[in-house]
Amino acid sequence: MLTAPFDPVQLAIPFFVLAIVLEILLGRFGKAKANYETRDTAMSLTMGLGSTVAGILLGGVVFAATVWVWNHRIFTIPMTAVWAWVALFLLEDLTYYWFHRIAHERRFWWASHVNHHTSTHYNLSTALRQTWTGGVAGTWLLWLPLSFIGFPPAMVAIQKGVSLVYQFWIHTEAIKRMPAWFEAVFNTPSHHRVHHARNARYLDANYAGILIIWDRLFGTFIPETDEEPCRYGTVKNLGNFNLLHNVFHEWAGIGRDVAAAKSPREVIGYVFGPPGWSPDGSRDTSQMLKAKWRAREAAASRAAAAAKAPLPGGSPASHAGT
Amino acid sequence: MDKALLIQLGGSVVAVALLVAFAAWLGVARPTPPLDAQAARDLLAVEFPDHTPSAVWIAADGVGLIARAKNQALVIWRRGDSYVAREAAWSEVSGLQPRRGRISIRLGDGRPVFAVADDVWPPKELV
Repeated sequence: MLTAPFDPVQLAIPFFVLAIVLEILLGRFGKAKANYETRDTAMSLTMGLGSTVAGILLGGVVFAATVWVWNHRIFTIPMTAVWAWVALFLLEDLTYYWFHRIAHERRFWWASHVNHHTSTHYNLSTALRQTWTGGVAGTWLLWLPLSFIGFPPAMVAIQKGVSLVYQFWIHTEAIKRMPAWFEAVFNTPSHHRVHHARNARYLDANYAGILIIWDRLFGTFIPETDEEPCRYGTVKNLGNFNLLHNVFHEWAGIGRDVAAAKSPREVIGYVFGPPGWSPDGSRDTSQMLKAKWRAREAAASRAAAAAKAPLPGGSPASHAGT
Repeated sequence: MDKALLIQLGGSVVAVALLVAFAAWLGVARPTPPLDAQAARDLLAVEFPDHTPSAVWIAADGVGLIARAKNQALVIWRRGDSYVAREAAWSEVSGLQPRRGRISIRLGDGRPVFAVADDVWPPKELV
């Protein structure tokens, strides 16, 4: 009930390795879209390894907190009941959605999550580019209510592992679209490409873990369109391949901003505001970038309409030819 | 730390090294030919959609560009098989001194190096 009899992530590691090898080969022989850049791959895989070590270092604290909460649970939910697994599948996935949304929309948690998004590639190695500082940022706290309701810690750990394993295969450009019914319900490579895109139109979208229904429900779903291919990375791509810079750059940025803050309000804004927040609005948040993009699109539409409109004394075609 | 954990960690390090070596050997990076005028315009439109550059200089080795938009320098350079964009004050960029045919610009977390023809800086395109 307390410790999981198996770890889905550990069991899946051989599959991760084989799948990456296969994706590299498919890219090499032109059978699928798959780009690998050596230093980018090295960064992703080293981040994955370091994340495991960070998890071990903080695992005791997380485990102790989870057990303490479970000892004060409301109900006792049996680990052997099918309904309990179904309920946990939905609740854990909902928890993941909100964790993920907060991790993008509030800078304190973005600082620990951003390094998953710094790759300018979107391949299976990107899936392993995991956080080193998520434990310190306390994102695991969001899962404690599940144990408080009465789901055994082992059950929650297994379901979290299942979710992580599911999310591995969607980090690929090799799969264009899944069947429509699948795209409607589940998170897919297409949906998650949008999530990793840095194009203004795609920012802050598709936070789902396994089920995309949460994004549809809470209004954060954006479909991938063929007219605008995804460009990957962060709005401001990193300027180097330094591993420690990748891990800590946003934390350092928060530190610099807080040190220069002129009031408690500014401190709160810099730490808990959306990424890109600044007191004078001189930096861009995702919302500001999207607003600018919408304005550009509207201006382009107006210009296109004006170009098509008949001009007095001449046809559009004759005008275009001048 | 117990022995099993250390062995597992050691094995993981070896596996990561092997996978990286495999990616280096057979992985296909994106093509990044030297920039030309059209590629430079496309990159500027993507990275600085709200700016209207008045002049563009492409590095002699084609790995990056500097565009001028009023008193700002829009800098784009290749990192791996992708590009990074940063803004800088034109006054700082114009004051750089080329050394052995190259200029180096410190831009926060990046330090792009561009080849300069004839050690002339700033180039006539940007002045």
